[in-house]
Amino acid sequence: MEEKRSNSAGGVGGMVLFALIGFVGALVVGWVIFPKLLYSEKTQPIRFSHTVHAQLGIDCEQCHHLGPDGRFAGLPTTESCAECHGEETGDNSPNGKEIDKFVKDYVKTGAQVPWLVYQYQPDNVFFSHAAHKGFECTKCHPDVAKTDTPPTYYQNRVSGYSKDTMKMWECERCHASMGTSNACYVCHK
Amino acid sequence: MGLDRRAFLGLVAGGAVGTMFTPIPWKLLDDVSIWTQNWSWIPRVPKGQIDYVTTTSKLCPAGEGLKIMRVAGNPISAAGNPDHPLSRGGVSALARSEVYMLYSPARVKSPMKKSGKGFEPITWEQAMLEMADKLGAAKGAVACVSGDGTGTVNELLSAFVGKLGAAGYFMMPSEAATAAKAVKLMGGKGQAGYDFENADTVLVLGADIFETWGTSTRNRKAFGDSRPVGQKPKSDYIYVGPTRNNTAAVCDQWIPAATADLGVVALGIAWHLLRAGATSAAPGFDTFKAVVNGGFGPEDVKRATGIAPEVLAGVAKALASAKAPLVVTGSPCGQGLGAAPVIAGMSLNLLLGRVNKPGGVYALPELATVVPGAMTREAMLAGDLPAFLKGVADGKTPAPKALLVYDANPAYGLPETATMAKALEKIPYKVSFSSFLDETAAMCDLVLPNSLTLERYDDLATPYGSGFCVYSLTVPYQKPVHDTRTTGDVILTLARKMSVDLKFDNFLQVLKEKVATLAKASGGFVAKDVMPWQVAAGKPAPALAGGDLWKALTSGYAWTMVGQVQATLGFAPEVLAKAIKAGKAPEKAVVLAPYAQLRTGTPTTGIPCQDLTTVPDTELIGESTFVRLNSATAKALGVKKGATVKLTAGGASCEAKVHIFESVMTGVVSAPLGFGHSAFDVFSKGKGANYLSLLSVVEEPGTGLSTWAAADVKIA
Repeated sequence: MEEKRSNSAGGVGGMVLFALIGFVGALVVGWVIFPKLLYSEKTQPIRFSHTVHAQLGIDCEQCHHLGPDGRFAGLPTTESCAECHGEETGDNSPNGKEIDKFVKDYVKTGAQVPWLVYQYQPDNVFFSHAAHKGFECTKCHPDVAKTDTPPTYYQNRVSGYSKDTMKMWECERCHASMGTSNACYVCHK
Repeated sequence: MGLDRRAFLGLVAGGAVGTMFTPIPWKLLDDVSIWTQNWSWIPRVPKGQIDYVTTTSKLCPAGEGLKIMRVAGNPISAAGNPDHPLSRGGVSALARSEVYMLYSPARVKSPMKKSGKGFEPITWEQAMLEMADKLGAAKGAVACVSGDGTGTVNELLSAFVGKLGAAGYFMMPSEAATAAKAVKLMGGKGQAGYDFENADTVLVLGADIFETWGTSTRNRKAFGDSRPVGQKPKSDYIYVGPTRNNTAAVCDQWIPAATADLGVVALGIAWHLLRAGATSAAPGFDTFKAVVNGGFGPEDVKRATGIAPEVLAGVAKALASAKAPLVVTGSPCGQGLGAAPVIAGMSLNLLLGRVNKPGGVYALPELATVVPGAMTREAMLAGDLPAFLKGVADGKTPAPKALLVYDANPAYGLPETATMAKALEKIPYKVSFSSFLDETAAMCDLVLPNSLTLERYDDLATPYGSGFCVYSLTVPYQKPVHDTRTTGDVILTLARKMSVDLKFDNFLQVLKEKVATLAKASGGFVAKDVMPWQVAAGKPAPALAGGDLWKALTSGYAWTMVGQVQATLGFAPEVLAKAIKAGKAPEKAVVLAPYAQLRTGTPTTGIPCQDLTTVPDTELIGESTFVRLNSATAKALGVKKGATVKLTAGGASCEAKVHIFESVMTGVVSAPLGFGHSAFDVFSKGKGANYLSLLSVVEEPGTGLSTWAAADVKIA
């Protein structure tokens, strides 16, 4: 009988202890391990140095411009880049090698570089850069102009989107703070 | 203290509770919902550099210049080209479909040969060998039907067929053919061109000028320019026709009149003009005056059409007092009108002194042919396809041994469709060059798919209705989506195999020769800073730098020329006297008045898939189409809104639902064309009825032309 009571009392205490362990363990898994498992890490096909180009006095808009009708031209094509980097340099410096890799793999083959875009929105979102041109690029985008090596691209293994893709609540919060409509049709046509 | 059952349960419970305080469930739920957007069958928005290129629509009869948006080099959407004189930024529903029709499920994906009741794919080489063999055996009895009213490919086809021994070269029926016949009967030459841009009062007799007639996109732009928002309109448009269609709806006045009475209305207006002192030096004026005064007085016209004398007197006054009046005549459904009403309408232009004047009607010269042995457009338009096929069906005309069908669908797009199909069945060897598997292609022995507009070089020369000569090019901006070829190239390859000399090696050479010929033509210029209607109004035409013409045309600009054929147009009163009578009282029978819309495509395109969504459910619901009657007609017939009725005429019948619509004149039932396909794809096949089958071909007295724009119909 005594042993039974002891077991019972120890069992409850043990259960609470293990429950606590489970609780804390779940928190550790959820907040520390899960985010690392959820995203795969990818690097850009070409180590493009924004710093080098910014130091040459090239503005963001020279490569990422709005078209005459307000459409965002997105990323420059291989042909645009080839206007300056049409031939291999033979330079053995890290930057020279990267330029030669670009020329060999893309300029010579006529292929487009499969750049990993950090903030592509889903297709059901109509986002107009023209409507947001009053803002600094860095209000929404990482300040890549100061990077010599592009940041790591974290891809969500489930949704397939970049970790940096702006969520709807972020759009809504900014719209609300600016007094802009948050009606569905503003972004979803 | 080991991990016993209770401890394990505690661990699990603690873990479960703890998990609720982490992002795991919430983030995964969110990500899974986003993951569902990535399923492979959901279309993706293409990403890449956006740019624009220009071309010309060949699917749309209005011939607009197009501005194509591309993403990463792939065409995405079509809009109007602001620099093109037939578009000026405007675009029709059909021209807008040029991009997405590339991926239409109805496209013929490779050459195909008839096999039993279906088709089997074959190679181009096999197709060429078979066609060379069959056409060689059919020499002397090869016919051709073309639906392309503006392309130089007609020159190749007509020269090729001519050198094989033509049994006939026919264009699909069009307003152009009717007008050409009218101009010829009036002793004139050239193609009638209407200068809407400089006109201030326009009387439209039947023609649906803002929908299917001629250069409809350009017509709409000219109309819009003369009616600036918030300002007093600078023009006055009056529409005469059986329904308040898309044209009548925006005109200043709609005068209800049956299609068969359009000629009577025109001569009734002429009576008022003559009474007010109008005169003309054109041949036949005195006889014309006698014909009009003898049978088209106000009471005659009222008895025949129901139009009050003061209404036509008002129209005559508006025309006579205008600085630049213009009269345009055409079929409310875009086909089947006789030449006599066009002559009557043109006679008003003569009375008003509006021929070859700014804001009037021009006799436009035809552009020179470049392929040796090619027929002129005038000669091509002289063929009467419905009469020919009816003769073949009845056994009165020998059936050709072989038929080539280019950009045409005569098994669907002609009146008396059952008779026409019977005639086609009598022709032992048929080849279609259709891009889509239409009703005619389905009957053919061989289908050799033509590449679509964005996949081929082609051209467009002065579509009917244009007020000036115009020429523009289409440029291939992508590789053919399927195993298709440009028909011009196919004909040239075939001609070489059959030792038929057509002078050129490929179709691009033909077009370059055509452009080189235009560069030498005097008076031509590239419409850029100066538009042709400005030149017509007196502005000097800019000089043409010949060497740059090809570059300009492939950059989306159009070559234009303002000028007229030197030939005297007369009144043709004998034709009018035979063909137009105002003596009959209005009949009690209900008259079928079809109408056409570009959003339901043409017989060669079927209904463009995206445009189907714009068809209202008062026109098509499920698999039923609606006919429109006003409440008075419905009451007289004892039919109610939404009722299913059977329309019978000419030995054929069609079902329809009833839509009560007060924009249809009493005694008329208005039916949409473009439905009732038995071929194409899910967007066209089995949708409603083809009301063309109810229309009978009737020979017009005095002109001999086949007509079918309206028919008495029984409704039960």
